[in-house]
Amino acid sequence: MFPGVDGFHWTFAHVIFLAIFFAVGMTIVATTVLAIWRAHRDVKTRRVEQLRWHAEFEDLPPAERTCRHELAGRVEHRTCPHAFACGTCPEYSKYAALPTDAPEYAFGMDYPPNRLYHRGHSWVREDEDGLVTVGLDDLASRLVGKPDAVVLPEKGQWLEANGTGWRLRKNGCEMRVMAPIAGEVVETGSPAEGWYLKLRVPPEMRQWRHLLRGGEVPGWLMRELERLQLQLSPEGSAPSLADGGMLVDGLMDQMPKADWDNVMGGTFLQS
Amino acid sequence: MASSTLIDRRFIARGVERTGTARFAMWLAPWVLLLGVGLYAAYLCLYYGLNQTNMDNRFAFGLWIFLDLSIIALGAGAFFTGFLVYLIKMKELKAVLNSAVVLGFICYSGAMLVLAIDVGQPARAWFTFWHPNTHSMLTEVTFCISCYLVVLSLEYIPMLLKNRKLRQAPSFLAFEHQLHMLVPVLAAVGTLLSFFHQGSLGGLYGVLRGRPFAFREGFSIWPSTFFLFILSAIAVGPSFLALTTRLVEKVTGKALIPDSVYQRLGLISGLLLAFYVAAKSIDTLVWLNVTSPAVGFAPWEHYSYGQFGIWLMAAEIGLFGLVPAGLLLWPKTRASRGWLMTAAALACCGVLLNRFILTVQTLALPTLAFDEFMTYTPNWQEVATFGLVVAYGVILYSLSYRYLPLFPQEKELAGEVIEEGTHVSGR
Repeated sequence: MFPGVDGFHWTFAHVIFLAIFFAVGMTIVATTVLAIWRAHRDVKTRRVEQLRWHAEFEDLPPAERTCRHELAGRVEHRTCPHAFACGTCPEYSKYAALPTDAPEYAFGMDYPPNRLYHRGHSWVREDEDGLVTVGLDDLASRLVGKPDAVVLPEKGQWLEANGTGWRLRKNGCEMRVMAPIAGEVVETGSPAEGWYLKLRVPPEMRQWRHLLRGGEVPGWLMRELERLQLQLSPEGSAPSLADGGMLVDGLMDQMPKADWDNVMGGTFLQS
Repeated sequence: MASSTLIDRRFIARGVERTGTARFAMWLAPWVLLLGVGLYAAYLCLYYGLNQTNMDNRFAFGLWIFLDLSIIALGAGAFFTGFLVYLIKMKELKAVLNSAVVLGFICYSGAMLVLAIDVGQPARAWFTFWHPNTHSMLTEVTFCISCYLVVLSLEYIPMLLKNRKLRQAPSFLAFEHQLHMLVPVLAAVGTLLSFFHQGSLGGLYGVLRGRPFAFREGFSIWPSTFFLFILSAIAVGPSFLALTTRLVEKVTGKALIPDSVYQRLGLISGLLLAFYVAAKSIDTLVWLNVTSPAVGFAPWEHYSYGQFGIWLMAAEIGLFGLVPAGLLLWPKTRASRGWLMTAAALACCGVLLNRFILTVQTLALPTLAFDEFMTYTPNWQEVATFGLVVAYGVILYSLSYRYLPLFPQEKELAGEVIEEGTHVSGR
């Protein structure tokens, strides 16, 4: 076919055929190279954590993408289309101005009003020294109990909001807790201390509209408890919801045969 | 179904139920056995040559080429679904897109596998690219299928990297995301390639002047079979997709896609099938009354040998064309899951019969005065190689279903157990 092959001579058919073939071939090669180059750039610029969060969000069932305004009872039904990035939601203000009719109790759990809450069950508190403390919320703490291992980020490491905050291991189940906000790790804590990270957050990044607060928290907790009860119902039994009682400490130890992998996926927003 | 039996749990997406590892292994076992027998047959054919088959100088095309043409036609659901989702923006069909890509990949890689055994000397496969006969339809088919298999592989990779374990690697996650962003380009390239190779596979028969049973007039350099092959492939592609999805639902006992997607696939398939039947009928009438008599063959002469009677034509156009088209187009039968699947199965059988007729009947009929009618029966090596492709397809699809997100709405539809006659409401 090509010059150098005995008897070869160019014809119109050769030109047309090869032009189309090489155009297609080059398109395929260029597409692949572009994808590799962009992926390399994403890894270098640490954009992967954001990509991961968006992929995880896409995989969440609609029931777990409920808008905060629905949780607060401001709207009857709304599913979040913005990966919980309320800071960029054009309709946030419109709904935030509506009155809330959410219950004002936390189902017997400890959710102090001076904290902000991430859907991945971590909390944020602004301290007087300017640092921000981050911890695991009461529901997740009661589920996990005392973790077998905790893998915390190193001091000085920069965390991205919705990226990996720290990791927990319990009964063979590995959990990735998402960082509720972006910031530089200044100090690390432990489950015994009741907090996990202290972060330094630049003033221009202290915009935490994506975190739940006030009347949104009970509505969110109610749905989370419903999800837990459904996921922890014995196999083959009809779905039923308890109408009372409190979440016990160390549920993973209390119910070792439950499908904790699935439960923790739902709790920490991971597919 | 207890999770404790899932020793490969960490590779399976959260929130979806899969059968226990032991049961899955038992499901795979017979297919692996079939794969093993097929590999042995393939080894015999590659090592000793085609004397290991019942093919000869007359029947150079046999069971394998029939298999190639059939699975390439059935695999058309991959490019056509990509075309509908990314270029026509029919977002509803995203529910089956991943499955379509896997099926397409299986069909095309299976076809390449069999071609490699059929042509022989796979180490010299590059000859076809370096010394192509640019006047041959087969050259265009070879180039297009090779390119399209690369495209399908690139479309399959993002799905593979969505595996729960693999996506934990940052570089895989980023590559999956970026490749996924560029998939519309690949879908467009795939559509172009598929259009031409599906057509050229049909054109391959239409240009056979020495075989009046297959020879057709056409448009410019393309005989009518070029267009009929494209049309029949895109008509049955959605039907095959609906059929396989339903089969997986039956095997797993889970709802995987909403009923509205089945309805949409059925409607698309029905419309295209009706158009194909009309075009095929006109083409057959022209061939019987003009093309065939012009080369000295009376219209019914082609149907007077052995078992290849006129009933084949009637079955192809009527039973496997007109009937499923009607069933798919009539809203009442399309709304019934049973009728929808019957119609889809008939449509798929129709394209298989069409490819069989063009491959085997064309070669069986005598064309010269001293020619005789000859029949051909594949031997065990050919059948086992056929089985090799089927087993490969079942194994790869089973593994893909288990470890990859083939049906994105599976979690949403979880708990809706499939029973005959029940419909899962569309969302």
